[in-house]
Amino acid sequence: MKGLPSLFPPTFHTFFLPGGLLSHYRRHPLQLLALAAMIVIATMLWTGVNHLTSQARASLNQSEQAVAERQQVVRNDGRALAIDDFVALRLAGVCVMPWLEVTPETGSRLVGIDPLAAHCFGAGTGASQALDQPLDGKPFVDVYAAAGVSARESRLYLLTPEATQATDLPGGYSLKTFATSPDTGELGDSFLLNLEALGVLVLLITALLLRAVYLLGLAQRRASFVLLHRFGVSPEQVQRWLVLEILVLALVCVVPGVWLGRWLAAGLGGGFGQALDGLFDIPLYAGQGHGWITPVLVMLAVVVLACLGDLILLRFRGRLSLPVPVRAGLATALLVAGLVLAWLGPSLAWVFGAVALVFAGAGWLTPAAVAHLAYWCADRSQVPLARWRYRELAVLARQLTLPLVALQFALAMVLSVQALVTTFEDTFDRWLGQRLEAAYYIEVPAGADGRKAAEWLTSQQASIPGLQWHRVVRGQAQLANAGSLQVDVFAVSPVGSLMRAWALVEAADQPWETLASGEGGMINEQLARRQRLEVGDSLQLIVGDQPQAFSVLGVYPDYGRPVGEVLLNAETLPETFNIRFESISVSPGEPGIAPVTDALQRIWGVNALTVRDNGTIRELATGVFDQTFALTRAMTLLTLILAASALLMMGWVFFSTRAWYFRLLVVWGMSQREVADQLQRLALLLTGGIAVLALPLGIWLTWVLVHRINPLAFGWSLPMAVYPAFWLELCILSLAIGLSIAALMRRQLGSPAVAPASASALTGDER
Amino acid sequence: MTESLLAVRGLSKHFVSGNEPVPVIEKLSFTLGQGQSLALTGRSGSGKSTLLNLLCGLELADTGTIVMHGQVFEAGGTAVLRTAKAWSALRRQHIGVVFQDANLMPALSLLENVRFRAQLAGRDPANSEDWLTRLDIGELAHRYPDQVSGGQRQRAALAMVFAMEPALILADEPTGSLDRHTSDDVTRVLFDLQARHGCGLILATHDSELAAGCQQHLDLGHLNAI
Repeated sequence: MKGLPSLFPPTFHTFFLPGGLLSHYRRHPLQLLALAAMIVIATMLWTGVNHLTSQARASLNQSEQAVAERQQVVRNDGRALAIDDFVALRLAGVCVMPWLEVTPETGSRLVGIDPLAAHCFGAGTGASQALDQPLDGKPFVDVYAAAGVSARESRLYLLTPEATQATDLPGGYSLKTFATSPDTGELGDSFLLNLEALGVLVLLITALLLRAVYLLGLAQRRASFVLLHRFGVSPEQVQRWLVLEILVLALVCVVPGVWLGRWLAAGLGGGFGQALDGLFDIPLYAGQGHGWITPVLVMLAVVVLACLGDLILLRFRGRLSLPVPVRAGLATALLVAGLVLAWLGPSLAWVFGAVALVFAGAGWLTPAAVAHLAYWCADRSQVPLARWRYRELAVLARQLTLPLVALQFALAMVLSVQALVTTFEDTFDRWLGQRLEAAYYIEVPAGADGRKAAEWLTSQQASIPGLQWHRVVRGQAQLANAGSLQVDVFAVSPVGSLMRAWALVEAADQPWETLASGEGGMINEQLARRQRLEVGDSLQLIVGDQPQAFSVLGVYPDYGRPVGEVLLNAETLPETFNIRFESISVSPGEPGIAPVTDALQRIWGVNALTVRDNGTIRELATGVFDQTFALTRAMTLLTLILAASALLMMGWVFFSTRAWYFRLLVVWGMSQREVADQLQRLALLLTGGIAVLALPLGIWLTWVLVHRINPLAFGWSLPMAVYPAFWLELCILSLAIGLSIAALMRRQLGSPAVAPASASALTGDER
Repeated sequence: MTESLLAVRGLSKHFVSGNEPVPVIEKLSFTLGQGQSLALTGRSGSGKSTLLNLLCGLELADTGTIVMHGQVFEAGGTAVLRTAKAWSALRRQHIGVVFQDANLMPALSLLENVRFRAQLAGRDPANSEDWLTRLDIGELAHRYPDQVSGGQRQRAALAMVFAMEPALILADEPTGSLDRHTSDDVTRVLFDLQARHGCGLILATHDSELAAGCQQHLDLGHLNAI
């Protein structure tokens, strides 16, 4: 406190100055409330997105660590493992660790592990890293505790180090890949990248809005500053108090904003966690994000920079102040450079830089472009009222630059996220449709022969009405066309009705019939895009060490799975093909699944089968996806609402300063209704114009996400789709904002208290 | 006696402060002939601006009758909407209003303002530039209101009013924000043009010298004390 008097001399000012400065807010408390609300909501929104993304990122890392060691011991007879198996293996000197997965009646999945049993794994392996996690139920607990949980479902795995060889195992056991989660490749990362990009955009938009509201407040306090200056208070002293004022306001508002953001994240976290779990088997277990310090500091910095950037740059202002044509030229140059860079940029960093350039250029150009267009229309209009309206539009576009640009960015972001999510959703629907076509999915147990099951099912085909089935064989092959690129093999036989409903991206004539005859193969979309393969091209595959040539019969969508895949007729696979996984997809018709499973148990000589009900999986997966997309949409919609509220608030405040001129029209003989109509047309022109200008930016951003960022980051690309119906929705929303502003102003126009601005207040800003 | 342009009979208006009715104008009657001028004086709050608003229909009286340009407006009538429309039409075509300041649209140049007002009144806007020249601001025609002085803005406002060829000019302290010299200048122009074009003028002012230039004088401070 000792430095305070010297910071704000003389002592009298310490009491007098803040009182004078704050008197504006005493007179207009709603302005202070609006600024505070904007800081709180902006902080809440960004903290919410950031918190969820941080949690998801941590969960992803933890999950990857936990399942990094992918080798387990299984029974050759296909039966589930039990404690006796663990004892037998340990007695034989095999290093194994129990991994007991339990799904409780209520709550998230738990994993029980035994730290003592895992010592033989040694340091640095994935399993030992899993053991480094606290056994706090997120998701790891001691195996003893997991065994005691009342469970809907539980399954014991016995993990063993990679060094363990099949020859080390006692009889009746073999090694198998341990994968509790499907291989999602970089799909999870892609999902998180999209969320993080959303977070950055939200931060940018909120900074713009904060700045807009703060600058408006400053403009309204200009008279107070002039008065203080006349009273002998230096501008520097006023500036210091303004810094202190915004710091205090930021501190007071950022902390509850962060708390609300965490509350929002916790509220959405359930759905989000379920989405992650369902999508990528990445439960939202890890940590609680970055805690309080990071979001508070980030938002404090954003608030201070957004509001006081001018004070910081004050000394450079002379050099930064550029003539209008130079500024327009610079903005156009930024825009063009960004567009070119986004198209040709060789890496993610270049493309992100390009996006920043395009947004900067577009943000700088848009209000000026609207203003110039309005002037152009005014100069060509013969109708005096229309000429006046266009001139007013130009004033509004210039005066409301920041909230308009924020709304434009928010609209563009919502549009691109919506297009991306809808494309994801459509592709996922098609993917579910093709992969879960059969009603049931039966895993062929280790050591069992899938072909025997196929023979039995063929023999039943005539006697069971409605029976549809095929055998699925999975493994790998090398694509000789692309330098021995490893691709997944997805082989089916017979190529029956379950397959023929697949929607193909591209297809030759009668592709399924040709595949059924064993004369060709199909490839997934990612392989086609990356290797630039088309229908009719020849595939040189090395399958089970044997070179084989296939003609590409079709390209099927594969939900952005990063791994290339080839769909073949299983009958064409050589005996040497290494089958990694085998299953039977079956729709059993009227008799139900029980006769089929009974028969297969008998044929394979096992007591139990792993049978999945695809209908339930599909229902669950669709529900989870709906929730995920609803979450993403909710986040973007919230940002849009924030931007719309800011424009509404600022539009109202700014229109209030113009109210006298609308009143002048009434004095000149126009009716209240005619004036209200002019006001409405003006507000609609403004917000509608911004929506129209947001469309190309949003479409371009979608293109960048789909065709540049995703392929550069993850090596795959979804098809880009545009949704004109959604454009229409956004335009209607923008028009609704305009109508709301007009409605608020209409009320104000009716008040006889509207007064003319003082002549001394006339500045160039009014035109 | 000249033909009557305006006749006011038993005009009253009150506002509500808190829950208490506060009378502003009570049972006021007067007439104004074609081409005549009337000065309204009285201290602040005596009802000068309110009376001007009543005389151009921006506010409606509680009781009384206004006969303006041949049209009769009875206070308290049921046809409020029709009355509002009739007043709008009168203001648009026959009544020019000049305030202390802010008479011009800031987004339009001085010339565009004059043209705008003339076209709204249904007059030929071709003479707009002439009017600016006659008011000695012809060379400023393409400037915007914020680019000229207060006196020049008031001259432009007068040009705008005369370009619409009004039957009556209502001026609410038109020189209130000007210095003495500029005020005299603007006043001279106003009286000169009013006399030359034969329109009525009602001038609300604190300035006794200005009021003395009018043919009639109504001291509202004497009539109504708030």
